Amino acid sequence: MSEAHRDPTPAADLTLARPAWRWRRPRVDRTPVLMIAPAVIVLVLIGVYPLFYALRTSFQLYQVTKPYLGTPWVGFANYATALQDPLFWSSLSRTGLFFLLTVPVQIVLGVAVALLLTSTRWRRLSGITRVLLVLPIATTPTVVGLIGRLVYNRDFGLFNWALGLIGIPPVNWLGDSSAAMATIALTDTWQWLPFVALVAMSGLTSVSPDIIEASRLETNRALEIFWYVQLPYLLPGLTAVLIIRTADILKLFDMIFVLTRGGPGVATDLVSVYVQRVGFRVFDMGLASAQAILLLVLCNVLAQTYIRLFYREIEA
Amino acid sequence: MDTRHSRRTILKGAGVSTAALTAFSFAGRPTWVRAQDAGFDYAAAAEPYQGVTIGAPFLDRPGYRAAQAMLPEFQEITGITVNVEIMPYENSREKQVLDFTGGTGFYDIVLVDVVWIGEFAASQWITPLSTFTDNPALADPALNLDGFFPILLESFGTWDKVVYGLPFDNYSGLMYYNRAMLADAGFDAPPNTWQDLKDVYGPALTSGDQVAYALQSRRGETQSADSFMRMVWAFGGSLLNPDTFEPNLSSPESMAGLQFRQDLMAIMPPDVVEWDHDETVQGLAQGRVGVINEWSGFYETLANPETSTIAEDLGIGIEPEGPGGRQPALGGFSLAVNSQSPEEKQAAAWLFIQWVTSEAKATEYIEQGGVSGRTSPYEDSALRERFPFFEPLVESWNEYGNPVFRPRFPEWPQMSEIIAQYGSEMQLGSSSVEDGVRVIEEALMPLLEPYISGERPRLQ
Repeated sequence: MSEAHRDPTPAADLTLARPAWRWRRPRVDRTPVLMIAPAVIVLVLIGVYPLFYALRTSFQLYQVTKPYLGTPWVGFANYATALQDPLFWSSLSRTGLFFLLTVPVQIVLGVAVALLLTSTRWRRLSGITRVLLVLPIATTPTVVGLIGRLVYNRDFGLFNWALGLIGIPPVNWLGDSSAAMATIALTDTWQWLPFVALVAMSGLTSVSPDIIEASRLETNRALEIFWYVQLPYLLPGLTAVLIIRTADILKLFDMIFVLTRGGPGVATDLVSVYVQRVGFRVFDMGLASAQAILLLVLCNVLAQTYIRLFYREIEA
Repeated sequence: MDTRHSRRTILKGAGVSTAALTAFSFAGRPTWVRAQDAGFDYAAAAEPYQGVTIGAPFLDRPGYRAAQAMLPEFQEITGITVNVEIMPYENSREKQVLDFTGGTGFYDIVLVDVVWIGEFAASQWITPLSTFTDNPALADPALNLDGFFPILLESFGTWDKVVYGLPFDNYSGLMYYNRAMLADAGFDAPPNTWQDLKDVYGPALTSGDQVAYALQSRRGETQSADSFMRMVWAFGGSLLNPDTFEPNLSSPESMAGLQFRQDLMAIMPPDVVEWDHDETVQGLAQGRVGVINEWSGFYETLANPETSTIAEDLGIGIEPEGPGGRQPALGGFSLAVNSQSPEEKQAAAWLFIQWVTSEAKATEYIEQGGVSGRTSPYEDSALRERFPFFEPLVESWNEYGNPVFRPRFPEWPQMSEIIAQYGSEMQLGSSSVEDGVRVIEEALMPLLEPYISGERPRLQ
């Protein structure tokens, strides 16, 4: 029942007495809602629903190829199995090593490339280089893996051919345990360094030239100018890079699978390759879902940590 | 040796005579020709299914390209459309299992690898063929299941004495070698035994960029089956004790085979643990490797001057003999019918399977680049001359084929992962043979426990 019906005051007075702040139903412009609705629906269908499905499955015994076992609820048994599985932990530590081999290098080199391309001397090259930088990012990981198998082939690969020209004997890029990890790290860096460089370039271009000019009155040392003036502008972007790359490395599968299939031995058996094997070779979906949820939690914890440690708002 | 040869000769002679008598017993014409003439009326059989579309998972291999080349004829006769999806072998089990369990109904024809038949049949994802062969409206009177090589029908199509699939795109491991390279080293014949390969041919053929041998060992089924099991069997070992189903890798014979594999590393490419079939075939085709053991299906690649620099010098034989005899790898597929497909699609799928694997179409299938599982075309002397790999292939299937080269029960894919992981670590030297075998056996025990205890039937 509305206020008008409860109030005994005559209607004329009511009109006069209507408060200016009275809540009115906001006028909703339906066009933008209709425009974004398909995207939201698709996101729910392909992102949110599978997540909740995986969460549910992680509490079930769900062995796809053994339907006679049924799918009973098993509580946290799959999580306990995952946490007690030495192969899960070893693949996770290998993933950590891969992260340390790739992301710091990509950030340092990416920022260096960005500084070069935004400096006045290289400005002419900047436009075309920006386009070229997009190419590795746009290449699908499977294609990257296939290219890698040709480039790193011990006998007829491009790299060993080039090394041979300067008298260096062929390197066993993919067939040697320690070299294989370095090889996939190198490939990942080739693909993702440009992304970091582009993000860093956008951060650097947001630094006003006036600020740089002013800082030059204080010091001529480029490193100090970078550290105290430019780096703060880069931190939000680099924090985003850290979050994106962490999530990406935890789910990196295609390139590794095509390039090494996790081998030789277990040298490149990253956690995503291991979880895929549990899910789609062994078809233990309950355990694989529990492992995937654990990785999701880890990813979120790391993202929060990065934000706390590195993210700083720049005051205008 | 002499006894074996003479027995083999007698058996071979008897087999050929029986086949010839059977083949020419009707009006002096082969049975497969009669079958074609008698002509099961596919158009009439398919009349209720005209306009039906069925899905088939195919691989990017010659046998499937051959079947695709024949498809238009089938579609024209029957009015049934076959939608072929080409997929990599590595994804084919995953895609099909998800189709079965998700009920998506993409595939009405099921591609069954020799090691999946137990899993697919035990899960009732494929239909026993008696459903169709007992139906006169769908069964070609010339179907003749006895016309398949017995080892192929048994291994690829049968589980627990029930036939589920018809052999399609089947292989045996063969020995391919570079005759010119061997001749340059003073050999006029390929190695007869594994020991000769390592001790005699190995040192003579290995120098500089050239290596004597390459055993494809990339992690996955290539490592577990092509590399690991090949050596275990050749030296008289086995994966399982056939009576108890307990692991048998720690037996002296199995260990000897695995140790031999380590010794072979001296005459193989140092990165052979990363070599899959393609790299191995290319190694021989480009003249860098002297001898390989690969699937019969790679003959076309190696014998074609456009894809092989040694096409003129290509030699073919049966795999070398070890202390456990000749144990060529057995691989390939059968085609089965998805039990979850609607009835009309099941019937349409069956008609295609029956047609493409029939004796009547076997020669055409071979001429298009496939390898038929039927015995009849291999008796054709013109075809035998045209395809030199037929003789060692038929000999391998008839005399040395091992139906349990890899166990066919549902646990194999999981066991294969375990063997592939620790097997490649052993090969890399990061784990000794003894340690590797111990870890593998420990990891296999939980999977084998239901069989050892008798909880599940001991079928492999």
